[in-house]
Amino acid sequence: MKGRIRRSLVRIYAMAAKEGRHIVRDPRTLYMSLGMPVLLLFLFGYGVAFDIDRIPLAVVDQDRTESSRALVHALTASRELVSVGELPDPAAVLGAFRQERAVAALVVDEGYERALLAREVVPVQLLVDGADALVANQLLAKADALVRAESQRLASAEVGETTPPVRVKVWTRYNPDGRSAFYMVPGLAAYLLAITAVLLTALTIAGEWERGSMEQLFASPIGRLEIVLGKLLPYLGLGLLEFLLVVAFGMIAFDLPMRGSGFALALLGLVFLLGMLGQGLLVSVIAKNQTVATQAGTMSSLLPSLLLSGMIFPIENMPVVLQHFSRVIPARYLVHGLRGVLLKGNGLDVLWPDLLALAVFALVVIGLATARFQRRLA
Amino acid sequence: MELHPERGEAVREADAAPALSARGLSRRFGAVTALDGLTFEVARGELYGLVGPDGAGKTTAIRALAGLIRLDGGEARVLGLAADDHAVRERVGLMPQQFSLYRDLSVGENLRFFSRVFVLPREVYRRRAERLLEITRLGPFLDRRADALSGGMYKKLALACALLHEPEVLLLDEPTNGVDPVSRRELWALLHEFVHGGMTVLVSTPYMDEAERCGRVGLMNRGRLLLEGAPPALIAGFRDEAYEVRGGERDRVEAELARTASVRAASPAGERLRIVVARGAAPELARSLAPLGATLAPVTPDFEDLFLSRIREEDA
Repeated sequence: MKGRIRRSLVRIYAMAAKEGRHIVRDPRTLYMSLGMPVLLLFLFGYGVAFDIDRIPLAVVDQDRTESSRALVHALTASRELVSVGELPDPAAVLGAFRQERAVAALVVDEGYERALLAREVVPVQLLVDGADALVANQLLAKADALVRAESQRLASAEVGETTPPVRVKVWTRYNPDGRSAFYMVPGLAAYLLAITAVLLTALTIAGEWERGSMEQLFASPIGRLEIVLGKLLPYLGLGLLEFLLVVAFGMIAFDLPMRGSGFALALLGLVFLLGMLGQGLLVSVIAKNQTVATQAGTMSSLLPSLLLSGMIFPIENMPVVLQHFSRVIPARYLVHGLRGVLLKGNGLDVLWPDLLALAVFALVVIGLATARFQRRLA
Repeated sequence: MELHPERGEAVREADAAPALSARGLSRRFGAVTALDGLTFEVARGELYGLVGPDGAGKTTAIRALAGLIRLDGGEARVLGLAADDHAVRERVGLMPQQFSLYRDLSVGENLRFFSRVFVLPREVYRRRAERLLEITRLGPFLDRRADALSGGMYKKLALACALLHEPEVLLLDEPTNGVDPVSRRELWALLHEFVHGGMTVLVSTPYMDEAERCGRVGLMNRGRLLLEGAPPALIAGFRDEAYEVRGGERDRVEAELARTASVRAASPAGERLRIVVARGAAPELARSLAPLGATLAPVTPDFEDLFLSRIREEDA
């Protein structure tokens, strides 16, 4: 028995060492696993920033008084909204939206100051270009808060200090500035790991079929599980390196905090990678050729990881059917777990459901891959 | 070479069984019948040649004996065990027809990989690899990548990889396909050496002239065995006669031959035509060829004549 295990380990090692050589000799594999993720992270991290910043605001000031100028100043003082100039009348606003010179427009009617002094309720119009719903939503929230602050200031200037009956003291923990990179980077890390890990392994078994080496392997005493494990090991190492690189890059380039333990982080990455590599193996066992394996691998990892992981779209907002479906997407658990470890400093006591879900997924796909892997050429 | 590694007690019981046994093997791939009740046996220490045209089912037969394909019917046994039995894999070597090693690995790395798959101790590997590299004269190319080897060198490397674990049975699928004549001769010399050392070798080839180098041959066509025996005995038992047709206008002579039922096979041999004719039918054929200015000259029948006439007979 002991001899059998030893022989088995030698064969797994043979496979892993051989696979390692393939990786080192194929620059595409290295680029795909190490270069591409960093490149994508860089592009995504800066490009997919949802933070509201320097939004062009057109102003239609028909009042032209000190008060109206004060309102415009209140809106643009923080530089989140930037005035791009005055327009003569409200009809010109739509033209500015179409030419994309402005995304929002403030219309102050004539008589603003007069009405203020007469203590009447003054309507001020904010026009928003809703074509980009994300920007529009954030803009509305921002503008609303700014206008409310301004009207509070006016009110207290008028009546002296007022005490509102309820005062909410908001204390935002973990990401007080609401920086999108903080929640995007863990999501991106999951997404990038998912596609590269699935693709990396999807190519390997399909490659053995295509190169004809499967015939020689099947004629030898190496077992199916030995082939599968031997192929997993080097890619697992590569995947962990990629994981480390992505997280480190997030910390350096986006000031991503790392509040949890390195152990929890590594464990999360390891179990997730096992599942993703197993999924790649399953794809390549079924596909038997590299082109089909690449497509099936990409489709089965890219779309679900992007759309259903909660990386961009909150799972709570999805239709119920998709919410249930997202439970079998490993990226969901990694995104959730990573945000916990990095931002909140969660330990294993909180992480274990995510880890368990990932472990179950890994066991199921590796089991399926081995079972579907027929030791037959035809 | 040592060709009898130590075997366990359990295996010894099966020692009386033939090295290879194919019994009624059949397998269809869609509309194509690759094996159609193929039956033959190879005794231990025998060099058996599976000869036949492309598409006869030779590769499928070898894969069946290596336990690599599912059979629709029949039974393939190796050393008394089922062909896909795990215990058999340690004792059988396979050299597939297609490229089956790792192109981006060097000669040495390919050898090392297979030695690990067979869990050979390091010293054993070193000793055997050294000897195999010497026999195959691949020594100077140890660091060359497999995809940079010539056709003949690649085949020798594949052979070396299949021999590392010193198998009792060696299966070779068209080992000389795409190999230059010198390497081809060397390869056959090696096979004879192995058999001399006690190994059982089953080799497939589409080249009829190579059949004569085997101890026994089986002629395969359409998934079945047409003919089997030792080459001299097969030729001695040949019922038909072989002739060379000399002179005459080629087109008209060929048309006449095609019309004549007693002509079993005709193939060009340089300027002339070599034909196989049913025994006793030659004088009549000579008379019908005379007006075309062609004459018949008897030649000693060889394997190609024998096989061509049997395959033609079968296909008709």
